[in-house]
Amino acid sequence: MKKVFIIVLIISAFFSACKKEDKPAFDQSPDERLTETLAAYETQLAGAQNGWNGLLITDSGRAGTFSFYFKFNTGNRVIMLSDFDSLSAVSPKESSYRIKALQQPSLVFDTYSYIHVLSDPDETVNGGDRGAGLLADFEFYFDSVSTDVIKLVGRINGSKLTLTRASQAEADLYNNGGLAAGLNINKILTYFKRLTIGSEKYDIQINPLKRQITFTWIDANGTLQTFTTGYYSTAGGISFTSPVVNGSQTITGLNNISWNATSQTINVTVGSIAGTIIGIDTPLRVDVNAPARWWQFAVDNGNTFWISFKGFHVNGVDDAYNLQSLVSGTESYYFLLYWPAYATGNDFFGPVFINAGGTALSLQYGSAPRKPTFTSDGRAIFVELGTYGPQPPTGPAGLTRDQLYSARGYYFVQTSANTYDMVSASDGKIWLTWEF
Amino acid sequence: MKAKQIFIALLSAILFLTSCKKEDPLGSVDNIPGLGGDTWTPGAIDNWISDNLTSTYNIGVKYKWDQGELQADFNRILVPPKEEKIIPLMDAIVKAWINPYVAEAGQMFFKNISPKFFVLVGSPAFQQGAVKLGTAEGGRKVTLYDVNDFRTKGMPGYVLSDTENVKQVFHTIHHEYAHILDQNIKVPIEFSQSSASAYTSDWLNVTEQEARNEGFISQYANSQASEDWAEMVSLLIVEGQAWFDQYVNSINYTGTTPNGTTAAMAQARLRQKEAVVVSYFKQNWNIDFRSLQARSKAAINSLLY
Repeated sequence: MKKVFIIVLIISAFFSACKKEDKPAFDQSPDERLTETLAAYETQLAGAQNGWNGLLITDSGRAGTFSFYFKFNTGNRVIMLSDFDSLSAVSPKESSYRIKALQQPSLVFDTYSYIHVLSDPDETVNGGDRGAGLLADFEFYFDSVSTDVIKLVGRINGSKLTLTRASQAEADLYNNGGLAAGLNINKILTYFKRLTIGSEKYDIQINPLKRQITFTWIDANGTLQTFTTGYYSTAGGISFTSPVVNGSQTITGLNNISWNATSQTINVTVGSIAGTIIGIDTPLRVDVNAPARWWQFAVDNGNTFWISFKGFHVNGVDDAYNLQSLVSGTESYYFLLYWPAYATGNDFFGPVFINAGGTALSLQYGSAPRKPTFTSDGRAIFVELGTYGPQPPTGPAGLTRDQLYSARGYYFVQTSANTYDMVSASDGKIWLTWEF
Repeated sequence: MKAKQIFIALLSAILFLTSCKKEDPLGSVDNIPGLGGDTWTPGAIDNWISDNLTSTYNIGVKYKWDQGELQADFNRILVPPKEEKIIPLMDAIVKAWINPYVAEAGQMFFKNISPKFFVLVGSPAFQQGAVKLGTAEGGRKVTLYDVNDFRTKGMPGYVLSDTENVKQVFHTIHHEYAHILDQNIKVPIEFSQSSASAYTSDWLNVTEQEARNEGFISQYANSQASEDWAEMVSLLIVEGQAWFDQYVNSINYTGTTPNGTTAAMAQARLRQKEAVVVSYFKQNWNIDFRSLQARSKAAINSLLY
């Protein structure tokens, strides 16, 4: 019995003898492999002789697209251009970058350059929100890499940056300020703009901050069509993130954009067809009921009023009459107000003031228009009946009042359920945004 | 029987002793690669920092973006500084903060208890209606925000209204340094005794005027004794004695505040705190505060006007 026990013991000791094999699955340690990967990425970035085209789509790829040109070197320096504004498009800026192992191998633009302008939490830099900017990134992890295309994803806001290897021709175009051409589309100061390509006419509306263009046209059946697409600059023009399709005409972008300051027109080509963009006063199809709808909306909703913080926009300048400098005693301007059916037989139009403590609002003076005349071609014409209080004849309040009574009146464009833009019918460069 | 027991015991012992030894060579420890990406080709800025701060005072400056240094800001969006701001900023700091302390207390004093590490951030840190411009951690690290708006006399685009921005930077550094001095040698309790009941964590809802009427040098000084100390030291240095005298003399309301403080009491509190500042510097660090104050103010003025 004991023999059996000993034999079992010996056999089990034999089988449990240790296995001294400790071979890692890879030839090198994780650190070494990581360092190698980082070095390979850097070599690839810096190795592109003509640099890289970059397209950055902000806010997890949901918002505006911005164009960049990057030229990396092996000494942690990068030179870039961007289509953010007319300076960043033409003057190359050098800053530093690193390829660093964060949670993933990451490309970090680690000193300030054009790419950071989009991320800047100071809203005065980029027109975004305070503390957030335009929801872009400057730290990206490598998502996928091939010889000519590198896809990166932002680490905070998830913005998507795609780098594609640039050709010599592209690099030359960028270095000659090619990205600036696309910015010309913002040069026309009228509210309505008309793009004509061959015999097709489109009204276009551009939101430079969101990088969006809205096309409005009348199709072959006489129906009004609208289509909104994102856009970004290319060398010499702009490309759309999704093409505009109107019957047989498909527009993927506008090329060879140039600005003619004398005639105030923009020349473009679409495919092989030449086109123009001009400022216009009357859109393709006027929403003829909009003015009456606007007026009635405030009456129907508790007989309240429409407000505007910035007043009239004139010739490309917000708050052109400087309402925001207006004071009355110790009270300062808060917003401009239009109150339909303020009293029997008349409306009210004037500034609202806020007291120094920020606790109470007051009306000090204003103008009393009668209910506007709604013309059959979709304009509202305002006529003054009298004034309330000491309405100043000059200054911001006087200029604003005079503008309202422009003889040809205003077109109204409904921009959302409770916002309207009121556009001068005699001069398309003048408009005002009403909020409810 | 006995022999067998011994045999089994021996067998176990042998099995035990021959149990395997899984030795792994450590490999070369001379070259641990790390995670990579923490070194770069040094440029003009790196050399300037090395020559003027690192080799002289053992102070490092991290101006390249590293979110890992900003633990308090993981939920905030910030951007790195502009390269062209770094040397002017650090040079101004040398002139208005390091040089006066070194001149008054000597190199050894400064090397001993200076913060060793600056982290620079380009934008301000926005937080619920306020803007954070600087923080200090553990007497070692100072984080400065809003570097991209830093402009002194002679820099492109400088206007006189920028002086506020620049003074904010010095205010921040002197404020944080006052904390570090306090952390090394505790400020005597007499400093905050007279105001002890007036400190409130709700300081954001106290107006500048209310804080002044209670005998505080700023709104933030109203928050707690240690901040009161840091604000007193930094504002005395950055704004100067003339400003302080004027500030104290401007407290001349009649009657009492809701806390029962009269104008004379508020003035006396500020004067008493001022006296503690002067004596603290003399007794603990052998620094003539008046001379330090004059030197720093002159250096700041030369950068601004």
